[in-house]
Amino acid sequence: MNIKIALAGNPNCGKTTLYNAITGSTEYVGNRPGVTVEEKEAKLKWNKDVTVMDLPGIYSLSPYTSEEVVTREYIIDKTPDVILNIVDGSNIERNLYLTTQLIETGIPVVIGLNMIDVVKNNGDSVDTAKLEKKLNCPVVPISALKGIGLKEVCERAISTAKNKNISDIKIFSEIIYDYLRQIEDLIEDRKLMVSKKWLAVKLFENDNNILETLKLDSDKKSVLEKIIKSAEEKFDDDTESIITNERYKFIEKTVSETVKKNSKQKLNLSDKIDKIVTNRILALPIFAVIMWIVYYISVTSLGTIGTDWANDGVFGDGWRLLGIGGEEYEKASKVYETERIKIDAFIENARKNGIEIDALKEELKAEEPNSSIINNFIKNTKNITATAKIENDDGNTGKNINVDNDAFAAALEAKEPNPADYGVWIPGIPLLAETILDSFDASDWVKSLVLDGIIGGVGSVLGFVPQILILFFLLAILEDCGYMARIAFIMDRIFRKFGLSGKSFIPVLIGTGCGVPGIMASRTIENNNDRRLTIITTTFIPCSAKLPIIALIAGAMFSDESWVAPSAYFMGIGAIILSGIILKRLSVFKGDPAPFVMELPAYHFPAVKGLFIHMWDRGKAFIKKAGTIIFVACAVIWFLQTFDWSFNMVEAEESILADLGNILAPLFAPLGFGHWQASVATVTGLVAKENVVGTFGVLYGFDEVAENGAEIWGMLQTDFTVVSAYAFLAFNLLCAPCFAAIGAIRREMADYKWTAFAICYQTGLAYIVALLINLYGNAFLFSQSFIAPIIITALLIVLITFIFMCSNKKTAPKTA
Amino acid sequence: MPLSMVKTGETQTVRKVNGKDDTKKFLETLGIIKGEQLTVLSETGGNVIINVKDSRIALSKSMATRIIV
Repeated sequence: MNIKIALAGNPNCGKTTLYNAITGSTEYVGNRPGVTVEEKEAKLKWNKDVTVMDLPGIYSLSPYTSEEVVTREYIIDKTPDVILNIVDGSNIERNLYLTTQLIETGIPVVIGLNMIDVVKNNGDSVDTAKLEKKLNCPVVPISALKGIGLKEVCERAISTAKNKNISDIKIFSEIIYDYLRQIEDLIEDRKLMVSKKWLAVKLFENDNNILETLKLDSDKKSVLEKIIKSAEEKFDDDTESIITNERYKFIEKTVSETVKKNSKQKLNLSDKIDKIVTNRILALPIFAVIMWIVYYISVTSLGTIGTDWANDGVFGDGWRLLGIGGEEYEKASKVYETERIKIDAFIENARKNGIEIDALKEELKAEEPNSSIINNFIKNTKNITATAKIENDDGNTGKNINVDNDAFAAALEAKEPNPADYGVWIPGIPLLAETILDSFDASDWVKSLVLDGIIGGVGSVLGFVPQILILFFLLAILEDCGYMARIAFIMDRIFRKFGLSGKSFIPVLIGTGCGVPGIMASRTIENNNDRRLTIITTTFIPCSAKLPIIALIAGAMFSDESWVAPSAYFMGIGAIILSGIILKRLSVFKGDPAPFVMELPAYHFPAVKGLFIHMWDRGKAFIKKAGTIIFVACAVIWFLQTFDWSFNMVEAEESILADLGNILAPLFAPLGFGHWQASVATVTGLVAKENVVGTFGVLYGFDEVAENGAEIWGMLQTDFTVVSAYAFLAFNLLCAPCFAAIGAIRREMADYKWTAFAICYQTGLAYIVALLINLYGNAFLFSQSFIAPIIITALLIVLITFIFMCSNKKTAPKTA
Repeated sequence: MPLSMVKTGETQTVRKVNGKDDTKKFLETLGIIKGEQLTVLSETGGNVIINVKDSRIALSKSMATRIIV
C-alpha cells in the first residue's frame, strides 16, 4: 500500500533537516524561516512504498504569505494519508497552535517532538506519554539533526495512516462548540476531504477562501452571518480572535501539565549576540564589514589564488603538484632573468656605440638562430662593456653588474628553464589537448574549435569555480548561523525609508548565489506590491555567474584592487534602493510596505558537513551549466567568429560575429564600449552571465596565450579604458538577467506584462547608469567636457518627472 | 502605552492589538494575544525584537505601535 506522509510544522522547526535524514535527499537547509518555498517529495529511505512530502513552514492554516498557501492547499486539497507534525520542543507552546488546527482537519496526525536534545540541554523535560493522551495522537521525541527517533517516528506515522487513527479532542469551550455545530449543519455537500468540524471553524473565522469553495447559498450565508454576529457580541471580540484565544488557552493548560521548564530565565547567548549585531549604532557597520569580508575573501584574496591556479595552471601552461620544485624553478628563472638583463644592457650599449643591432635581435627571437650573425656581433663588440641593473623583489635597483664581451657571450648560452623539469609538472589542459589533437593529425579547424572555442570559452568560465565555491561556502555560513534573518531586520530600518520592506533583502542576499532561488524567495513577502518590487530588483545584486565578469574586469583593468568587487555589490544595493524610490512613485506601487514581522531563529554554529554539501551542490550546478549551456554557446560563438557569410575561415574581424556585433555596437557606443566584441559578449550574457567571460575567452583566444594565462587581460586593456570597463561592468550587472532568471520572474509574476515591465526597467536602468558612469568618468578622469553629462542628467530628470506626472494622473484615485 | 516605547529588558503584558487586518491575525498566530507576556530584547528607533512564548520576533515600528501594553 502506498502511503503519503506530509511534513508540516512551523517555519524553521527542522522539517527539511528531517526530510533529508529520512529520505537521503540533500535539500537546502537554512537557519531562518522561509527557506523552503516549494513542496518537495521523495521516497522514504527504508520503505519505498512511502512517499514523504516536505512543505513550506506555516504558523497556522490561515496563510499569511504566498508560500504558506502551498502548504495549506496541499493539506486541504490533496489530503495526505498522515501528517507528520514537527514540533520544536524548545518552543512548544507556539508550535502546538498549528497542531490544534491540523488535528481538526480529520487527517491522522503524528507529532515528532523535535530538538529533544536541546530541550534536555536546557534542563527542561516533556512528559510525552501525557502529551500523547492530551492530544490523542502519537508523540515521538526526535532529533532530526542528531538522528534520534527517526525510524520510530516514521513507523508510528505509517501505522497511524494504516489504522486511520483520527484524534478527537476538545479544544474550545462548550459555547463555541454550540456555534460550530450550528455552522456544521449548514455544510452539506463536502467537496473537500477534510472534516466538517474544520470547515465550520474556518467559516466561523470568516475565511474567504473556504467560503468561496463551499459556495453557500444566500440563505445559509445570512444564517452564518447571524451566528458570527451573535458570537462577536457575546465575546466582545471578532470571531477569529475568539478562536485564537481559545486555542492558546487549551495549549497553555496542556503545556502546564506536561512540560517542566527550568525556572532560571536568563538572557541566552542568542540574545546577547543580538544586543550587539542589532544595536542601533553598530548594526550597519557590522553588516558592511561582514559583506566586505565575504567578497574580499571570495573574489579578491583567497579566491584569486584559486582562480589563478585554475586559469594559469589547469587552463593555462600547467601547474606543479603540491608546489614541489617550485622554489628551484623560481631560482632558475631568476638566474635566467639576470642573464637576459645582461644581454639587453649590452646590446643597448652597443647601439649607443653605433653598432647595428637589428639583425642580431631578429636572430635572438628566432627558434634556430643563425650562429654566424651572432658570432659576428660578438666579434664587433670586443671593446664594449655595459652595466646591467638587477632589480630586487621590491623593484629597487639591487646591484649593478659589469658586462663585458665575454660575459655577454656567456649570457647568450643561458637556456630558459623548463617548468616541467622541476617537481611534478602537470601540463595545462590546452597543451594536453593540443598534443592529443596533433597525435591524431586533426585538421586546423577541429583544433581551433576545441582549443579556441571549447577550451577557451568553457575553460575561462570554469576557471572561476574556486571563487564561486568560496562564495557559496561563506554565504552558507551566514545563512546557517542565523545572521541572515537579522540582516532583514537591520535593513528594514533603511529600506523602509525608500518604500521597501527589510524582507526584500533576503531574496537579494540569496540572489548573490543565484538569481533564480532569490526570485523564488520573494514568496515569503506577504504584500503583493512589495513582492513585485522585490522580484524586479533582486537580480541587481551580482549573482555567482556575474562574479567572473567582476573578477575579469577587476583583474584586467584595476589590477585586482580590493574595492572593485565590493563596489559591484554596493552598486547592486544602490540600484535596489534607487528603484524603491523611483518605482514607489508610480501609482501601481503606491502604498506603505507591509509591517515587518519575522521570527528570528536562535544562533547556532554552522554544521560543517552541511556547509560542504551546500557548497558542492551549488558548485556542481555551476560546473554542469558550464558543461552544457556554455559549452554549446561557446561552440556557436566560435563558429560565428571563425567563418564569414560564405563559410570561409577568416580572421575574427571579418567574421559573421563581427558583422552581427557591429550592428549592435552603436547602441553601446554611448556607454563607452562600442566595439563588436563587447556587444557580442553582452548579448551572450542573456543565455547565461558566465558567457560574457566565455565569449571573451573565445574571441581573445587561448591560442595566443604565450607567456601567461592572463592573455585576455592584455587584450581587454587595449579595447577598454578604466571608465568604459567599469561602465561595461555596471551594464552587465544591472541589465536583464539570464534566461533562467527571466523564466523565474515570469513564474513568480504569473503575468507577461509584469515580466516585460521588469526586463525593460532593468535594462533601461542599466543603460542609464552605464551612460552616466561613462560620461562622468571621462569628464573627471580624462578631462573631457562636462557639458554632455550635465545635459544628459538634466534630460533624465525632466523625463522621470514627466513619467511620474503622467502615471499619477492616469490612475491617481486607485488604491491597492 | 505602545510596545515601541517599552525599554529594553522590560517585560509587559499585552492589553490590546489595534487594527483589524491580516497582520493582526498573523501576530495572534504567533502568540501575541491579550494577556500574553512580552519581553523586549532589543530596540532600535522603534523597531523591536521581543520574546514571546519562547521565540524571538522582530517587529517594525509601525507594528510595534499597534501593540498596546
